[in-house]
Amino acid sequence: MNRTPKTSESLVISRLFATFARCAFAGALTIAAAAPAFAEEPPTNGGAITFALSPEPPFVLTSINTTLQMGIVGSKIMEPLMALGVDLEMRPVLATSWEISPDGLTYTFHLREGVTWHDGEPFTSADVQFTIMDVLKKLHPRGRSAFAKVTAVETPDEHTAILKLSEPAPPLLVALASGYEAPMTPKHVFGGTDIPANPAINQPIGTGPFVFKEWEKGNYILLEKNPDYWDAGKPHLDRIVFRIINDASARAAGLESGEIDIAGLSPVPLTDMVRLQDDPDLTITTDGYAYMSPFMLMEVNTRKPPLDDRRVRQAIAYAVNRDLMTKIVWMGYGKPATSPIPSPVEAFHAAEGTIPAYPYDTAKAEALLDEAGYPMKGGKRFSITIDPIPLGTDYVRTAEFIKQQLGKVGIDASIRSQDLPTFFKRVYTDYDFDIDSLYYGAFADPTQGVQRLFWSKSIQPGVVYSNPTGYANPEMDRLLEAAQSENDPEKRKALYLDMQALAMTDLSVIPLMETRFATIASAKLKNHTITADGVIGGSFADAYLIAD
Amino acid sequence: MNGILSFARRFARNRAALAGVLVLLFVGAMALSAPFVYPSDPWDMVTMPFVWPGEDAEVWLGSDMMGRDLASGIFHGAKVSLTIGFVATLLATLFGTLVGALAGYYLGLADTLLMRVTELFQTIPQFIFAIVVVAILTPSVTNVTLAIALVSWPSVARLVRGEVLALREREFVQASRSIGMGDLRIIATQILPNALGPIIVMGSLMVATAILTEAGLAFLGLGDPNVMSWGSIIGAGRDALRSAWYITAIPGFAILLTVLALNLVGEGLNDALNPRLKNR
Repeated sequence: MNRTPKTSESLVISRLFATFARCAFAGALTIAAAAPAFAEEPPTNGGAITFALSPEPPFVLTSINTTLQMGIVGSKIMEPLMALGVDLEMRPVLATSWEISPDGLTYTFHLREGVTWHDGEPFTSADVQFTIMDVLKKLHPRGRSAFAKVTAVETPDEHTAILKLSEPAPPLLVALASGYEAPMTPKHVFGGTDIPANPAINQPIGTGPFVFKEWEKGNYILLEKNPDYWDAGKPHLDRIVFRIINDASARAAGLESGEIDIAGLSPVPLTDMVRLQDDPDLTITTDGYAYMSPFMLMEVNTRKPPLDDRRVRQAIAYAVNRDLMTKIVWMGYGKPATSPIPSPVEAFHAAEGTIPAYPYDTAKAEALLDEAGYPMKGGKRFSITIDPIPLGTDYVRTAEFIKQQLGKVGIDASIRSQDLPTFFKRVYTDYDFDIDSLYYGAFADPTQGVQRLFWSKSIQPGVVYSNPTGYANPEMDRLLEAAQSENDPEKRKALYLDMQALAMTDLSVIPLMETRFATIASAKLKNHTITADGVIGGSFADAYLIAD
Repeated sequence: MNGILSFARRFARNRAALAGVLVLLFVGAMALSAPFVYPSDPWDMVTMPFVWPGEDAEVWLGSDMMGRDLASGIFHGAKVSLTIGFVATLLATLFGTLVGALAGYYLGLADTLLMRVTELFQTIPQFIFAIVVVAILTPSVTNVTLAIALVSWPSVARLVRGEVLALREREFVQASRSIGMGDLRIIATQILPNALGPIIVMGSLMVATAILTEAGLAFLGLGDPNVMSWGSIIGAGRDALRSAWYITAIPGFAILLTVLALNLVGEGLNDALNPRLKNR
């Protein structure tokens, strides 16, 4: 298989990140390193596992919705063309090999033969064409920019798919290499239909190692072994039960009692993490999040006063002590963020001192607020509302922290609580918010994870995790679009450095913290994290339980 | 004056009720003095997280996982819990009394209609109903208070209806009617004052239930996120239950004490106000 220089560059970025992630946690989580590697002994077959999931996804089809919890379920059912190993090697999945033309404009994928969908229909190049052109490019929040340069997918025969590009698109291969980010979607089920309204999104059909069996809303989702899986001898597990458990303390108790075999995205209260780390029956790993590179941020609605004033947004950035937030609210499971391209994305991250920074400084915050015309009157300048993403108490506490910090400079913030669908509608459809706090995936390439936050063309009501701030700056658009198709790595980095300087000046998005998520699993469960997208995008075809 | 004195004497005969009053006065004093004893915001992070009670004299009840002073939270929380408890009860009592009095006095169609609606509300489990209402209205102090009032008025309505039914045929009511007094005036000046005893007793118990309901809602994350109540301290502290149980235990004890006190006072009021027990 061939790789263009651009592809290997993307791999280097990810490798750097993975190394970073491991180093950052070496102190805190000493058990981490042992878990992810392929286990030595031959896998045993049989057994069922329980995966604690929260919150419950509204449906399962990650090619149109990027909720991480949806990815956890979907990736066991639907598969990508390739997977990016935790060792950062590209592995074939539905594509057995691929070539990229020297000019970077033609990608040829040779598809695996004899693969069938769970309903018996054959998987062909038409499905690849449909997935990329009609699903990912049109309906996936990040796919819009990741596949923007793909003009056509040609299907000379059933087992060959050729992507034609108008300009080189360096991050393309990485964007395709995840069961979470780019699962192949069946054309015979969704073709010609209004996909979000198609009832099949509640009964997903894929080519993967596990078949969707049953979904009792609010309780569990049951997957069973695919007996006709193309990779003979796999999967090893008979069943996966995703149990919806919304209470973090209950998840901790479930893991300890052995009732739950695995849970991701830092599933237990952070205060419990230290205790679980000492439990010999459990393993904790921070691997498997490199692909997403998650970071916490505040999105600021720039449409109306007082937040339409850049000085006010800068004052807010000065007023929030991110070091203290990381230490107290997140108990050190993270690193204060200084840029919208977080430090793990090392190839593009702007080093400290090269872009505007906002170290904790209430005097500067107050001066900026005075200058913006919001003087202190009776201990208060103006009132705003914070909408923390309702994913658990850690996020509520983050909002409580921000509220207290803003109160010190005279910004009276109140916290609003709501359920997840209401939050999504408020922020991404109605734009009826002042400030929210949540995490985004930055991904290995800024076109994938970061561009959607700042690009004016990403302002699309109804598309979640896509520029809700109303920020539209022609200079920002120019930098993003130039970087999107710039082939020269040096020039590309320069464009992204300018982009970060501009983003940190205008502050439609205030970066808070680079998140360090952990997956906790029973020590008996092996091979659950073998790809860079971990439990969120991994198929679990290789996962198995060791016998007692 | 004489009446009040004899009431006080009868009430004081119940030692437990007296203790209840003392506890309530203490909690009330905590609520009123909160802004003076702990002038800063209870949400302020004043010290290190997880300071155990007694470890640091500055925060004698310890700090929570964000380094907030628990003693300040308990004082300010008393204000929130008592306010919600009393206001919700007042609303429920006023509305329940109105419905019950109209139904019991007029009987017939009005009674049938009002009582069927009351029963409709009674068939829904109170706490579940409160959760649904708060979830729909979004959590805030006003909405939580309204939700608690909404689920508690039916029992008042039934009680008042029963009292009014018993009183409406009594001689003094008939006398009032015969001298041409209007219906509403009869209800307000003749019947209700005589039904006041049971209503007050029930009210005191309803305050206790309301405080518990508010705590339950806050525990489930359905409290006002901007207001620190005893329930919200417990809800937040639950995450650290295994490593720092005192964060949930302290406000839990405050709730236990207050609810117990309210029940004792209710018992005492019942003894003092119930004429049948007057000379027990």
